[in-house]
This record gives sequence, C-alpha cells and structure tokens, in this order.
Amino acid sequence: MSRQPFPDLARIDAFDKVQGKTKYSSDVPFPDLLHAMTVPATIGKGMVTSIDVEHALAVPGVVRVLTPHDTPPPPPGPQGSPPPPPMLVHAIAYRGQPVALVVAETLEAAIEGAEAVRVSYALEPFAVRFEDADAGREDTESPTFGDADAAFATATTRIEAIYTTTANHHNPMELLSTTAVWAGGRLTIYEGTQGSNGLKNTVAQLLQIDRSMVDVISPQIGGGFGQRGEVPRHTAVVAQAARLLRRPVKLVMPRNQIFHNSRFRPHVQHAIKLGADANGKMISAHYDCLQQNSRRGRYRSDWYHAGPCKVYGIENYRGTSGDLRLDTHGPAQMRAPYEHPSAFAFESAVDELAFALGRDPVEFRLAHDTKIDASTGKRLTSRHLNECLTRGAEQFGWTGRPVQPGTLKAADGTMAGWGVGAGVYQAAMHPAIATLRVSANGVTRYASAGHEMGQGMRTAIAQVLIAGLRIDPARLTILIGDTTVAPQHSTAGSWGTASSVPVAVAAAEKMTAALAELLDGRKVAGNMHEQLARLRRPFIEIEVSMVAPGQGPEHLERLKTGGMAIAGLHGTYPDFTALSYIAHFVEVHVEPHTRRIRVPRVVSVADCGRVISPRTARSQVQGGVVWALGAALREISETDPRYGGWLNADIAEYHVSVNADIGKIDVSFIDEPDFDANSAGVKGIGEIAMVGAAAALANGVFHATGRRLRTLPIRVEHLI
Amino acid sequence: MRTIGYERPETLDAAIAAYSGSGSGSRYIAGGTTLYDLMKLGVETPTHLIDITAIANLDRIETEGDVTRFGTMALMSDVAETPAIRTEYPVLSESLLKAASQQLRNMATVGGNLLQRTRCPYFRAGNGVYPCNKRQPGSGCAALGGLDRSQAVLGASGSCNAVSPGDWPVALLALDARVEIIGIDGQRTLPLDGLYRLPAERPEADHNLNPGDIIIGITVPKTAAGRASTYHKIRDRESFAFALASAAVAMEIEGAVVRDVRIALGGVATLPWRARQAESVIVGRTLTRELAVEAGRAAFQDARPGRHNRFKIDLGVQVVADALMIAAGRNVR
Repeated sequence: MSRQPFPDLARIDAFDKVQGKTKYSSDVPFPDLLHAMTVPATIGKGMVTSIDVEHALAVPGVVRVLTPHDTPPPPPGPQGSPPPPPMLVHAIAYRGQPVALVVAETLEAAIEGAEAVRVSYALEPFAVRFEDADAGREDTESPTFGDADAAFATATTRIEAIYTTTANHHNPMELLSTTAVWAGGRLTIYEGTQGSNGLKNTVAQLLQIDRSMVDVISPQIGGGFGQRGEVPRHTAVVAQAARLLRRPVKLVMPRNQIFHNSRFRPHVQHAIKLGADANGKMISAHYDCLQQNSRRGRYRSDWYHAGPCKVYGIENYRGTSGDLRLDTHGPAQMRAPYEHPSAFAFESAVDELAFALGRDPVEFRLAHDTKIDASTGKRLTSRHLNECLTRGAEQFGWTGRPVQPGTLKAADGTMAGWGVGAGVYQAAMHPAIATLRVSANGVTRYASAGHEMGQGMRTAIAQVLIAGLRIDPARLTILIGDTTVAPQHSTAGSWGTASSVPVAVAAAEKMTAALAELLDGRKVAGNMHEQLARLRRPFIEIEVSMVAPGQGPEHLERLKTGGMAIAGLHGTYPDFTALSYIAHFVEVHVEPHTRRIRVPRVVSVADCGRVISPRTARSQVQGGVVWALGAALREISETDPRYGGWLNADIAEYHVSVNADIGKIDVSFIDEPDFDANSAGVKGIGEIAMVGAAAALANGVFHATGRRLRTLPIRVEHLI
Repeated sequence: MRTIGYERPETLDAAIAAYSGSGSGSRYIAGGTTLYDLMKLGVETPTHLIDITAIANLDRIETEGDVTRFGTMALMSDVAETPAIRTEYPVLSESLLKAASQQLRNMATVGGNLLQRTRCPYFRAGNGVYPCNKRQPGSGCAALGGLDRSQAVLGASGSCNAVSPGDWPVALLALDARVEIIGIDGQRTLPLDGLYRLPAERPEADHNLNPGDIIIGITVPKTAAGRASTYHKIRDRESFAFALASAAVAMEIEGAVVRDVRIALGGVATLPWRARQAESVIVGRTLTRELAVEAGRAAFQDARPGRHNRFKIDLGVQVVADALMIAAGRNVR
C-alpha cells in the first residue's frame, strides 16, 4: 500500500443521511406488517403469578398477546457456550423486564394493548445499589506480575486513593428495534445489530430451528457503541410472534424500556495504590476494581486491568477484581467499556503521583515510555504514545503550565486548569472473507464481514477500493452486516477497520491481477468497467479471505459458522502486543462563585496505526471526547433502592452533552502504520477515542481548583 | 385506539362554550409542547381537545405605552426576539432563550408556558411504579424519601416537594406581571403570584384556575428596574435543561444606591418564588458583592434541604448574588 495519507473523503452515505434517506432496519417496509409492544415488569424482582390479557385483546386491532407460555424455554447450547437470553419468563429479575408482547395491526393499538395487560406478581426482596448488595464480593483472578507489595514497600513516594465511576446508559439516536419476517420457510430479521452472525445463531437456537434457515440484515445502525453487541431479549420473542402469526412483526422499543433492557456501563469502585522510587519511576501498582453485575451477568470484572497493566511498563503490578451482584439487567460493553472507567481512575492516580513528586504530568508520562508489554514480556509494536503526548502538548500550548493548582485565573476570577490523560486500547482483528465483482455495466459490488454503525466502515472500505481499483465510485455498492452476502463477525472492540480494510485491499489487488491476466498484455483503454466491456466480459468476480496474525484455517471455519474468532484480545498476539494510543489535553474553566464547569477546548492526538478514512476517524475521536466529557460532567443513571429500575430513564432527565457544552476539539493522528498487526497497518480508533479523556478533565479540574474529585460525574455540587 | 374529540373554535366564547359542553375531560391545547408530552406519560388523559390556535388576535405582543401585553398565543421565540422586549426587559428575553430548545420555543406559547408541569422524575415516571400525590392524590410522595437532588428546597410540604420548572414565570414574577383570564363566569385578572399554589394541600393542583378558564394575556409594567434586569440560570448542561437554581433580578440604581430591586427564584421552589426578604436587604444600600451574597442568603433563609439537594441552597445564594451583580452592571450603561 502507498504511504501517502488517504484523502479526506466525505462519508459515502453523508448525503443520504442529511436528507433522511438512509434506511435503518425499522424503515424496511412490509405491506402486512404487524406492530408489537413489550409490557415491562413494574416490580423490582419476583414471580409473575398471572397475566390477564383479556382487556388487551379487547383493544381493537390487537391480534395476540404473547406471554411466557408462548415462548419455549431455551434449549441447552453447545458445550461451554454462553446461555442465550431467555425470552418471556415468569421470573422477574429486574424492573422493566418484558413480561409480555402485544401484537397489533397498528402501533397505537399495540401501545394501548400493552398498557391494558394486567400482571400480578409475587414480590421478592431485591437490591439495586452498590451499597445495598446482599451477597459478598465474587473475586475474579486478575493480571498480577512482579512483586507489587515489595516494590510498594520500597517506594519513596506513594499515593493511594479510591475512584468511582457511576452507572451510565447508552443513548444512541436510533432506538432498539427488531423486524422479523417468515417467508418461504425462512426467517429474516432486520435489526441494527453489531453482530448479525451471533444474532442468527442465537435466534436459531432459541426458536429451535437450523441456523441455515435464519438470515440477519443489519443495514445501518444509528449508533452502536456496544449497545448492539449482544442479542437483546426481545429479538427472538418478536421472531416467535412472526412465526405464530405468519406475518411480519416489528418492535421499536421505547427509550424508557431501553434503559431497563439494554446494556449499560456498571458502577465501579477503583482502589489504586501507586509507588515511585527515588528517581521518580513508577515501580509498583495495586489496582482493585469492584463492579456491579447482574445476578447471572457475565461481564468480566478483570478486564479493567487491560490498559493499566500495560500502559507505563510498571514492572510490579497486582491486579484484583470482583463483582457485586444486583437485581438489574446485565451490565456490558459501552464505548471504551473497561478502558474509559479504568483510565479515569488510573490516569487520575498517575496525575496524583506526578503531583506528589512535583513533576509535570506530561513529562512524567513521557518518562514512562516502554517498548515491552510488562504484563506478558512481549514486544510492543508501533508504540507512539510519547509522540501523542509531545505533539498534543505542543498543539495545546502546554509549555509553561504552572505545576501548582489554582494559579491560572482569569480577570473575572474564573479558575482555569489544564489536564492531561492518556490511554491504550487493543489492536484486534478477526478473519474475513470478501467477494468483489466488477462489471462491464459500470457496477462494482463488494461484500464482506462488518457492520456500519455510523463509524464509517463503508467509507473506509470505499477508500481502499477506490484507491486500488479503476472503477466508478458512484456505482460502488458495499454490502456488510448481511448474513446472506458474506460470513459475518461481530463488529466491536475497535477491530472493525483492522478486519475489513486489509481484506478489501487484498480483494482490490486480486481483482487488478485477474484483469491483468485477462488483458494478457493487451493495451485496452478506459477504466476497469470499460476494459471489461471492450473485452466483452460481463464481469469478473473474485473471492479473498484473510486471517489475523497467529490464526489459521480453523478461524476461517469459525467465521463461517458465525462464531467469535478474535485475535489480539487485549492486544496480545503470539509474538507481540499491538495497541492503539491516545493523549488528551483539556482546558477546564470553573466559575468563581457558582462553580459552573466549562470546557472551552480539547486537543487529542491518536496513534491508531494507519488512518484509512481521515474524516470518519476524526469524527470518531470528536465523538469519543464528547462522550467522555458527558460521562465526566453529566451522565449518571440513577436508581431508587426502594423501587429498582432506573429513575431518570429518558433523555430529558439523563443528561448527555449538547452542542452548547462542547468547545473546540482539535484532533490529529500520528498516522504511522503497524504492519505487525495487519497488512493495512490499521490498529483501530473507535474505542481509544474516548480513553483517558475523562481523567484529563478531572485532572484539569484539580489544576484549576486544587480539588481532587475522584467520583464521576463531577457536578456543580462537588465544587461549590 | 382511544378516540379523542377535537374541535377548533374561532372565538373565545366558542372555546368556553365548547368546554362547558364537553365536561371535565376537556383540555385546551395551544402549542401542545406540554400537553402531548403529558399524554404520552399517561399524566393527562383528555377525552376532548379544544384547540385555541384558530382564535384571532391572541398572539399579539403590544409594546406601546406603560404596560406591555403578551397575548397568550405569542410564541416563546417571538417574544424572546422582540427588540422592545430585549431592551425593556432583558430578564424576559433571557428567561425564554435559556428555556427548552429552539424547536420547542418555536411551538410553545407564553400563556401555556405558565402552566408547565413539574419535571419531578417520580411524577413523570410514576405510572404504576412510584407513588405521587400529584398524579394520584393521596398515594404518597416517592421523592420525599428518595432521589431528591432536583427537588425543591423552598415551599415543599409533607406531601410534595416537586419543583416548579419554569423560567418565564420566574422572570414575570420579578416584574409584578398580571395574568388575564377568561372563564365561564367572565373575565378577571390575577397577579402572577396569585396563580400558583403551594403543595400544602391538594398538591395535585398546581394553580388556582377554575375548570374552563383560559389565560388570554399577560401584562407587565415598564420600569427602570426592568430595563436593568437579568435571568441567570445554572443547570446540568448549557442548553435544554431545567434550572438547578436560577434567579430573575431587576434593579434600579440611583446614584450609588439601589432604589428598586426585585428578585425571583427558579429551580429551587415548588412555585415561582419571590424573594422579598432578599430584596429588603438591598433596597436603599450600595450594592457590593458582599451585600449581594447577604441578599442571596436572605433569599434562602427559610430553605429546607432534603437528602441530596442541600447544594441548591449554596448554589442558589451564589446565583442570586451573581444575578444582582449582572443587573447592577446593566444600570451603569
């Protein structure tokens, strides 16, 4: 591949999106469509004793009410596989859990029918707050290496603190939805999912049909961020309704119910001890993370260590972690799932240690550059964290920053502070199989694994196809997120571009070679389409496949059966560790009297390997920073322990940032390829974008005010 | 589907006659920004809607003379952007511009805005889960022993501590606005502070309007204080959020002495709250930041915090003080 930077190409779907033409899964029309609405449980925990559907069925237009009697219990899956989500069951594990599904001719009738269902319960005691947990902590073995206790004992400067990140909820613009269609003995599900393959497998398992009978199409997602990574409970229920009624059924879940039924970022308590030697080198880290989980939740508590145990090459690290089980829906991935909370805590602690040592926090981080992943002893590929820090500091104008807090003051008394935070995130990859057809009629069709969730995957694929092929870009169709066109793999964990682009590059190369073979040295004028036309060949179609470093044919097989086939989890490959890096610089203003916090500017410099799509990559980082600032200053999911569920379960009361909150966000990239990771040199940007930015904000608040705030969100009441 | 009656009378008499004819399930509707929201939440379940948007001349903004009059149907955005309002009453313009979003301000009317209902999360989410005396009289109040960060510290009772959410009514209160009402028994006017009710008894009733009443206009006297006024609002984000604490201040300074000051509070009380004790601290004295803070403390001397909203008192004191200093600055010009 050329090392020229890729051009700043507009999103290929930009015009459609601004004109409202983009079709999301719930936009796919069907003439005989039925509408569904879920009936949420109104109790915190217990058993359904009866469901009275009589009044619901009396609502004109209501066709059927599905209750637990209408959904089969999940059959056992393959050995060792995670259990699928239950469908409708009598046991209520959390408030808001769907109890029944009302299906009607119109959406209005479905809503009215759902409100008319009368459910009786036998109540059970429940606990929803961290501090109310009714069972002990469940520990999970966590990364530990060196001798952190001994090193801490010899440390000459130590800090010890507890940080808290509170529960947060996904609120992408697009609501969760499922449309299920049974036709010709096949089930097709239209759903904005990040894992069409997993959804296919799970629904087949739950409905006890062969997976070959199920197709899943995820045309566009109005925001993934991990929310669309699991198979929601309602999907198979809607599919079951379509099967029972022999008509297409659509459910669009209201936002309040989404708060209760979709993934969320759990409440986590992070206890950190850091020790530095007389030379100011970090020699010991203790990091304990205790997270809330659901009763049967599988969200791992030990993965918070993924970043902290690698980022600064600390040789003695003791990681511990555990769960407190509560009566909620299961917490799970939400952008920079482990790394955003852990980087808030760890990067705050590093800031505290630098301050205790009287060191500048940028210089202190620069002094902890490393070439080795201390947790495994493996070589770190293409680590450019120090370049991120140096370039960011320069762009921000960091030089001359006073170490003492509370010294930058505007004429009106506004306190200013400058904070820095850094982060790492895995550079992972999955295998992919792609087909590419270039036709004489001017059309190019490309199909592979991947999901478009607004991050710009189609734009990134288009970049390399347009760069590598002499084709008509306007008639290029990129089919992803569709189990009928290519084997799909979940798109998450920042492995999207790294998995989808190298195979697209290889497809372009193979197509170029195939055409050259056809031309056999003849000089034929025109682009590829015109050349094919002149050669009287309707089209050329090629197929390519690619696996990640260390993978073999068995991983391609796993891809074909819809399984997970990730390489580079936590950046770990057989011979090296590959990570993305970022540094964020934040200016914080705190008003002198009301202590209102404002953020006029942020500078972020990312090392995500090769930047394939500059515009969407920049957009990803801006979005990540916006979200981090929201999590740092505003977002909190609140629960009243007497009632369970989430109280502020709508976007009027759950405050995400608005435009007026966001100042200038200056994003740039190192843009150095990592050819150890993959042939395109891509490491990934979606998650790293957000990592460390919340800490940069909190560190800036400390620099402005001298107040070290260790719990997010930081709001007016914490500073006044 | 539930059927809802709908009519669109062309005169006030016809609207009131429609209400009289259709009974207690009727609701007037203008911009719809509150009513439709409450219908979706199940708070309002009208059987009949009387749309008053076809009635002529209800949307006038009359700025001539000593009193300004806002027709009830004037849009929030139109009032906020009227040049005479910006100069005569910056507090009114600012209170509107700091409320809701542009889209809502383009739909919502200044009369309807007076009747906006509380944003108490228990009230809004209440259906079937949380007891709420406003939704179901006598059922209890979940907010009193619950997550009360956003609840009132002034004017609460043992049955309700829901905050009055508005900005515009707070600004109007500071300017001694009056409300013109037409009802089944004819026309009358009320001072704005006579419109709202404390939740001591019947917390389900936010106001003193009778069934069938329509607010048809709002009048505000022109004063020197009004010209040197401000609406200061602190919230969890910079737009599209309700006040954690806000203050409307209008002030006239003569020489170095404060001759006239009016202070009203938002986001902290169960109704738009006039802080007369704070006003009396200042009148006749020379305003300094210290005095402004003293006035802020006086404004909150009767405040009773709950479990999570004590900060509203500290914040409110500073908001009042900052607003006083901003208004004082506008006297200089």
